[in-house]
Amino acid sequence: MSEPTPPVGPQTPLPPETPLPTGTPPSSPAAPQPAGPPAPSAVPPAPPAGAQPPATPGSALAPGAPGGAQPPAPPGGPAPFPSVTPAPAGLNTAEPRRRLHPLTPLLRGLRYAVLAVVGISWQGFQRLGLERWALAVAGIAILVLIGSLVSYLVTGYHVVGRELRIYEGLFFRRTRAIPVERLQSVELVQPVMARLFGLAELRLEVVGGTKTEAPLAYLTREEAVSLRRRLLDLAAAARPTAPVAPGPAVPGHSVPAGVVAPAPADQPVRPAPGEPAVQPAAPTVPAGPSERLVHVVNNRDLVISQLLRPQWWLLPAAVAVQVVNALMDGRLSFIGIASTVTAVIGVISAPVRVLLGDWRFTLAQAADGLRIRRGLLESRSSTVPEGRIQSVLVEWPLLWRLAGWVRASMHVAGVRVEQQQMGRSALLPVGTGDVAQEVVATALPGVVLRDIVIRPVPTRAKWFAPLRYRVLGYHLGPTAFAARDGLLTRRLMLVPYARIQSVRVRQGPLQRRLGLATVLVDVAGGGQPGVAPHLDVAEARALALALAEYSRAARRSAAAPAHRPAASEPASGPAASQPAASGPATAEPATSGSGPGPTVGEPGPGRWPAGTGDGRETPAGS
Amino acid sequence: MTVFSIWPDDVVWRRVSPRLYWLTIFVRAVWLVILGIAAAVGWYVFRQPLAPVVAGVLAVLMLIRLVFVLRGIRSWGYAERADDLLVRHGLLFRRLSVVPYGRMQFVDVTAGPLERLFGLATVQLHTAAAATDARIPGLTPEEAARLRDRLAALGEARAAGL
Repeated sequence: MSEPTPPVGPQTPLPPETPLPTGTPPSSPAAPQPAGPPAPSAVPPAPPAGAQPPATPGSALAPGAPGGAQPPAPPGGPAPFPSVTPAPAGLNTAEPRRRLHPLTPLLRGLRYAVLAVVGISWQGFQRLGLERWALAVAGIAILVLIGSLVSYLVTGYHVVGRELRIYEGLFFRRTRAIPVERLQSVELVQPVMARLFGLAELRLEVVGGTKTEAPLAYLTREEAVSLRRRLLDLAAAARPTAPVAPGPAVPGHSVPAGVVAPAPADQPVRPAPGEPAVQPAAPTVPAGPSERLVHVVNNRDLVISQLLRPQWWLLPAAVAVQVVNALMDGRLSFIGIASTVTAVIGVISAPVRVLLGDWRFTLAQAADGLRIRRGLLESRSSTVPEGRIQSVLVEWPLLWRLAGWVRASMHVAGVRVEQQQMGRSALLPVGTGDVAQEVVATALPGVVLRDIVIRPVPTRAKWFAPLRYRVLGYHLGPTAFAARDGLLTRRLMLVPYARIQSVRVRQGPLQRRLGLATVLVDVAGGGQPGVAPHLDVAEARALALALAEYSRAARRSAAAPAHRPAASEPASGPAASQPAASGPATAEPATSGSGPGPTVGEPGPGRWPAGTGDGRETPAGS
Repeated sequence: MTVFSIWPDDVVWRRVSPRLYWLTIFVRAVWLVILGIAAAVGWYVFRQPLAPVVAGVLAVLMLIRLVFVLRGIRSWGYAERADDLLVRHGLLFRRLSVVPYGRMQFVDVTAGPLERLFGLATVQLHTAAAATDARIPGLTPEEAARLRDRLAALGEARAAGL
């Protein structure tokens, strides 16, 4: 490694504008990295010109940015895949392997030590006594500190072409390469301690893992921000030009006054070449320059809404049980009090965590995707690139309906969310219906909550859901499928057609007797399926095939937006954009609806024709 | 098909190989033999008078279930449409899966030892959704290979990823 390493692999002609320094310093990416694996560093990691991220002005913040004036990737241009395209060894030095911040072992060790102390628990504390307990804690702390120090020394990362490579492990070396095309979301987390030191953790999510694939903890904030920008820019350049969802293709939808519908012009798919990429501001600042601020959640509403959650009602019960217990026993036991405290913490932790986590919740639309900033103690700023939202769930909890409040959450494949339920991350912790409409329209272009009119299930579904059957139902929107459920907490699940992975129909023996069936819409990455239970059989069958057809049309129009007919027919379903091209097998939906009511193959102008009998069609939120 | 069926009737359903019946019967027979041995051991070695009774009840239940399973085999079917694969199954609990080719992540062709004994294979289509249920058992190896190749080709042509 004393001289420039010759490129490994097929030699490709270099673009003429690529600077080729002649006096190449010895490429020594392993030099600052005592325990680095030699194999990856032998490959010159610098990417070809086409795959280089746009050199942004103010790249003093980007320590890894190469000095050479690399042109930004042409939009949609066939960028050569970097891993097979070695770059000149001279660029190698522009992208050395980087370390995490030196304070990392301290912060990490602290975190694990706290976990260990919690692990000892009340019983342990009681049994060990104060001195030995302190001794045990100190021992654990030292061990953990040593462990984190070693882990820090062997961990490194750098960007190679369109991949982020992360090196870790002392005995079992691991080099993880994450292609930016696969990024599902990027989150910048600043826990309290890290915040004091101006550090941040960068969490990259891709599909397929059970936990965050690439946690980079800790970097300086500036470094994390610039790395995030680089990765997202690379990802945006790699994506096809069109928004993945068919987009707000329905201009005929009436947008209520006061609600800003996302105009297509407001949603730049990516920064234009040469234009500075989005410089995300600090999480506390509402919105950066090239972002469109969608909504800032009112903290007062957040507090009230969390106080309206049913968890609080359990609190008096838990205390009462303990009081009664103490009165019966005549004395208070340490274990009893401790377990009560633990139980109380457990009960109220969910709303409190939401409060802390969603404080100052800000949703903005940036060029590289949806950006969410939140958090009181631990500030988080997550970015979900366009088209990565697999489904959106809008909920109307019973008590919140008094205030007309709604909450919305989304499922992004691969993202594991600790605090929220069902692996969904918040899109709107609390807000009015109008706000929800705007937020949902931002997350899923083309979805207008107000226009969703639920098509009810047959009355005979009451044999399965005596009360719920009035709530159940679905809607075929212009770009997304909606299914409603839930008696106390009304839930509306929205799955964009373009995100449907497969469609299933299920029918049990009793359902068969009643002529009912359930339709399930599967989304990627372990998300809950969208479920439309207890539909009429013929309708369910036609719905399943129609959904498959719509998802195909949506994917096709996403792949080739020019081929999509202009939205000459306002508010028409995707079926309208698929005229006679479907062939005999796919003509099914229009012909099979032998049941009463309209057939599924004709979704009509955004809502179902009136007069299906009982007039139970209702707006989604009622 | 009546109107009460969730299965579309205007597509060409392909059935699975009749050898799947024999495979199913064989597997159940093996289990019956194991059950019989267990009962005999319980009776002779451990002197458990209830062992044959329990085994007998289990055997009857297994035979009853076998009838349903055999009837259910007839219900397996798949149809290759222009853009998606339909898989249907079940008599009591019916299910239909519609999997667009473009959503396919990979195809599995598996053949266990018993399946190989009867010259059968199972094809399973995987999408990015774990819930996707598109398994087709009881295919002849030639049909399984043909289906796999066709699915792979179609999946590539219509790939849409996530």
